[in-house]
Amino acid sequence: MKFAIETNGLSKFYGDVRAVDSVNLRVKPGEIYGFLGLNGAGKTTTIRALLGMVRPSQGNVKVLDQAVGPNGRGPWAQVGHLVESPSAYAELTVRENLEIGRRLHGIKDSNATSRVLEQLSLVPYADRKAGTLSMGNLQRLGLARALLHQPDLLILDEPANGLDPAGVVEIRQLLEALAREKGVTIFMSSHILTEVDRLATRIGIIHRGRLIEELDTDKLEQLRAKRLAVQARNLDGARLALRRADYQSSLRESTIMIEDARALDHPDEVARILVMAGYSPTRLAVEQENLEDHFLRLTSATEVAKGTRSK
Amino acid sequence: MAYFPSALWTEILKARRSSVPLLALIGFTLAPLMDGLFMFIMKDPERAREMGLLSVKAQLAMSTAEWETFFSVLSQAVAIGGVIVLSIVTAWIFGREFSDRTAKDLLAVPTSREQIVAAKLVVVGLWTLLTSVWIYLVGLAIGYLVDIPGWTTQLAWQSFQDILAIAGLTLLLMTPVAFIASMGRGYLPPLGWAVLTIFFAQIIAATGWGDWFPWSVPALFSGVAGPRAELLGVHSYVIVISASLLGLVATFYWWLNADQTR
Repeated sequence: MKFAIETNGLSKFYGDVRAVDSVNLRVKPGEIYGFLGLNGAGKTTTIRALLGMVRPSQGNVKVLDQAVGPNGRGPWAQVGHLVESPSAYAELTVRENLEIGRRLHGIKDSNATSRVLEQLSLVPYADRKAGTLSMGNLQRLGLARALLHQPDLLILDEPANGLDPAGVVEIRQLLEALAREKGVTIFMSSHILTEVDRLATRIGIIHRGRLIEELDTDKLEQLRAKRLAVQARNLDGARLALRRADYQSSLRESTIMIEDARALDHPDEVARILVMAGYSPTRLAVEQENLEDHFLRLTSATEVAKGTRSK
Repeated sequence: MAYFPSALWTEILKARRSSVPLLALIGFTLAPLMDGLFMFIMKDPERAREMGLLSVKAQLAMSTAEWETFFSVLSQAVAIGGVIVLSIVTAWIFGREFSDRTAKDLLAVPTSREQIVAAKLVVVGLWTLLTSVWIYLVGLAIGYLVDIPGWTTQLAWQSFQDILAIAGLTLLLMTPVAFIASMGRGYLPPLGWAVLTIFFAQIIAATGWGDWFPWSVPALFSGVAGPRAELLGVHSYVIVISASLLGLVATFYWWLNADQTR
């Protein structure tokens, strides 16, 4: 199997609204793919299309090498999912809710329910009605249901929603362990970018229905790297002076970026070189962009570009 | 159909644990109780006079206190009340998945959507059967306690068959309710539909065209407007079955093909 998830030109239109627009996803087996986007960007619609819950207006979806049909056909015995806010039958106990999941998945092993209760720390709540659970425990119940059949692929929409900080860490560790030890492919959307940053091996950013960027491990590492940001009145002159002193730099949005370890260790030396060359820096700072900064910069840049075009 | 028993098990569990089917059953039990009360009043004119208005109402509904009248009123109550109560149960079984946002957990599982819908319909059918038998048995017990005259085993058996047939006709008309609960994604649209069909069933039956309107047929079958042989023809049953098949196909088609955004 080449890809656990593959979409080709996936689009979903609701009247004039393009909820998802020509999205091409390729998620390899074993990857943890973080799917990011603002509210209304098209994350949930994409996830629903992956699960055969909405019919694509254009394009097609393949999950675990099987075409996802418009009539609910798909490799669901190997796919666990959690879509949007967790839900459960309020009048049934946690254990009964899981029993329903177990039976609908055709799992013969009756210990499966006890296993996930333990895995998600739900044992103390097993015989409590789901309607009395806190949001966090309801989320755990949703995750437990997704893990009941020990799937090869997990499609999770906001898995850390409603969890307390300890719960967020616990779920992250669980997902990490599933990917590392059992080779489970995880496709997850989340608003908690720091968690995605820690967990994901690849990240896709969707904005206004379009997949505007994908970051692989190298790009993510690059993103996490520290750099010295320098601003000066004459940027070309300043870069020339730095090159003469053997500092490699790049220019991004009127800022000179230097990733050289010497510069990071001794920014004062860089300042001295620039002053001596007559290009005194107006700003000089060690920066480390994180996923959140990158995401916000990218989505706002897209907004600006769209605004410019529309003018 | 390997997963069908599992789907049925889950639907039965949900129905058992919820208060809605039970409350509907309890509500429906009022029919034989009221029927028995009327019989009690009719049997004893002295007491009927003492009770004033209730006695007058009882006389409007029936003439003599005997088993034949008792069963006739019970059949009519099942026909008219059945549409309301069964619509509530059907609306709950289908609509709750959308109101409670649990439908999404039924869509991407190895158990097919056809099996899930079929299991839900079977539960509606089982509930109808159990309720019909229950109401009949409660009716028998009440009739026995009131000591209504005119009992014959043949009449009792015929009445049982009539009640089952009325319940069956009503059940057939629940597939459009299932469709509207699914398409409307909740309880209110199917209940609105039930009210509308009851309203039109009355109007159309009053104009004499009830035999051509599916939702008038169960009440006409119960004898509410006179002997059923004079009011209904084969075409009446054909249109009930047609309406049912239409609702069935629409429900399955919707579950298989509609965008599920809840």
